[in-house]
Amino acid sequence: MNPFSLSVTDLEKRARAIRRRIILLNANSPAGGHTGADLSQVELLTALYFRVLNCSPALINSDERDIYIQSKGHAVGGYYCVLAEAGFIPESWLSTYQHADSHLPGHPVKHKTPGVELNTGALGHGLPVAVGIALAAKRNGSNRRVFVVTGDGELAEGSNWEAALVAAHYQLDNLIIINDKNNLQLAGATKEILNTDPLDEKWRAFGMEVTQCSGNSMQEVVSTLEGLTPNGKPQVIIANTTKGAGISFIQGRAEWHHRVPKGDEVELALEELKDE
Amino acid sequence: MSNSEHLATVMVNAFIDAVERGVDLVPVVADSTSTAKISPFIKQFPGRLVNVGIAEQTLVGTAVGLSMGGKIAVTCNAAPFLISRANEQIKVDVCYNNSNVKLFGLNSGASYGPLASTHHSIDDIAVLRGFGNIEIFAPSCPIECRQIIDYALEHIGPVYIRLDGKALPELHDASYRFVPGAIDVLREGEDIALVAMGSTVHEIVSAAAELADQGINAAVISVSSVRPCDTAKLLAALKKSRTVLTVEEHNVNGGVGSLVAEVLAEAGCAITLLRSGIADGSYAIAADRKDMRAHHGIDAAGVIRNAIALCKGA
Repeated sequence: MNPFSLSVTDLEKRARAIRRRIILLNANSPAGGHTGADLSQVELLTALYFRVLNCSPALINSDERDIYIQSKGHAVGGYYCVLAEAGFIPESWLSTYQHADSHLPGHPVKHKTPGVELNTGALGHGLPVAVGIALAAKRNGSNRRVFVVTGDGELAEGSNWEAALVAAHYQLDNLIIINDKNNLQLAGATKEILNTDPLDEKWRAFGMEVTQCSGNSMQEVVSTLEGLTPNGKPQVIIANTTKGAGISFIQGRAEWHHRVPKGDEVELALEELKDE
Repeated sequence: MSNSEHLATVMVNAFIDAVERGVDLVPVVADSTSTAKISPFIKQFPGRLVNVGIAEQTLVGTAVGLSMGGKIAVTCNAAPFLISRANEQIKVDVCYNNSNVKLFGLNSGASYGPLASTHHSIDDIAVLRGFGNIEIFAPSCPIECRQIIDYALEHIGPVYIRLDGKALPELHDASYRFVPGAIDVLREGEDIALVAMGSTVHEIVSAAAELADQGINAAVISVSSVRPCDTAKLLAALKKSRTVLTVEEHNVNGGVGSLVAEVLAEAGCAITLLRSGIADGSYAIAADRKDMRAHHGIDAAGVIRNAIALCKGA
């Protein structure tokens, strides 16, 4: 059971609060940040942590808690903001993002940050580990579900497809793979750098149950996550998102993969993120 | 000393005994059931082993996930593919995450002989010594191997165990007790200290006996515990001899030869040292074990030759 179980309206409000935190967190970073990637996954993580996941600070050591793996580790800034909003870490830590030896390094480190399940940052690592956790849960007769968010550029890593074969072979329908498909990666458009489309057909060919949704629409994200029915196949959600979603001058621009708001940009962004 | 036994068989027996005493152990293989000689385990515990196919990255990643789900996950496949193909999974998923996973490097060194360099792992110790927190063991005989495995299954944290691909004879009797970090001095001798890890310990044992006939008194030191390693004890053992010769089926860079060199140099100890192994800049030749070791001077004859030259020069 999720301790918040927020309505869609309240989730949307929470997502705006998280976006405001993302802007300030990145603006405060002495070492840059992945603002665009942080923003594209806000609806996904907000829906997971405030409605879907059976996970909370009180359950942090429970064998039955759902597991969330942030495979696209570079979007850790957004992840930290969600963990702070959900009470896993103090809000005051957010101003220390990427400061020397702080609790919030530039990629997830579980020994530093309560709530982080797996150290990631090198890409293509989350899914094989998630497969192992899901397999252990099946063997243990646990109802645990394992959610892993990958980028779309990240899917060029072959380890994802190795792990996909294993997930389908062992019928891991307690595994939910969410692709934050924002179509942009470090050096430009995913389609131009290494095309992964048609992504749904690839996953289906690997034996997955595939659902697509608009990944920055809270209503669609929630209904997709709640519409999953275990049927012996691992579940894939292709969340079509916009990198930098929610802020007019950041969204859809590759240069915001590794860039942070500066000067007037901070106020302009916060203005756009005001509650109605 | 008693009969020889293949260390993979020792490993599988240790797994079977562990499950029988209630350890929730899950072997993970990458189509390496025959490499691991694990069919007795599968027969006894059907449905327990996980086979991920020929996919070493997922072998290691899945083992880490299983450990996060409460299992004692042990990977069993050929050392060269484990170390090289899954290098980043070992670094990140196992070591950096400090996962409770035990990695077994089977048919290590140049055990695969004529199958050539793709199948040799002459860099595994060097690679893993570069990763901060993984314990590293290279057993040289069945009884030691069994006790290392039993220790590893109890220990919480990453462990690598380098297993040779041939049956190895016993070096100890039933009274032997493995202690992590301990240096195993099998023979005392003041002229030269012969130091080896894993299967090449048998070469230095044979060499020492022949050297004694030629009037050279050689110490025989087995370093089965590469990390942790009681370097003070190692230094004390080395200082009893006038010269040191290290012998390993591994590149001379980063293995037991390097460990000995570091210990001597950091102590300001000017004992003459020769590191024998796969020489800097080269690979192990593709040949059967006997010819390969002879070529690289790491068989008993090569050890004797190098030891005599060192003692003459000392």
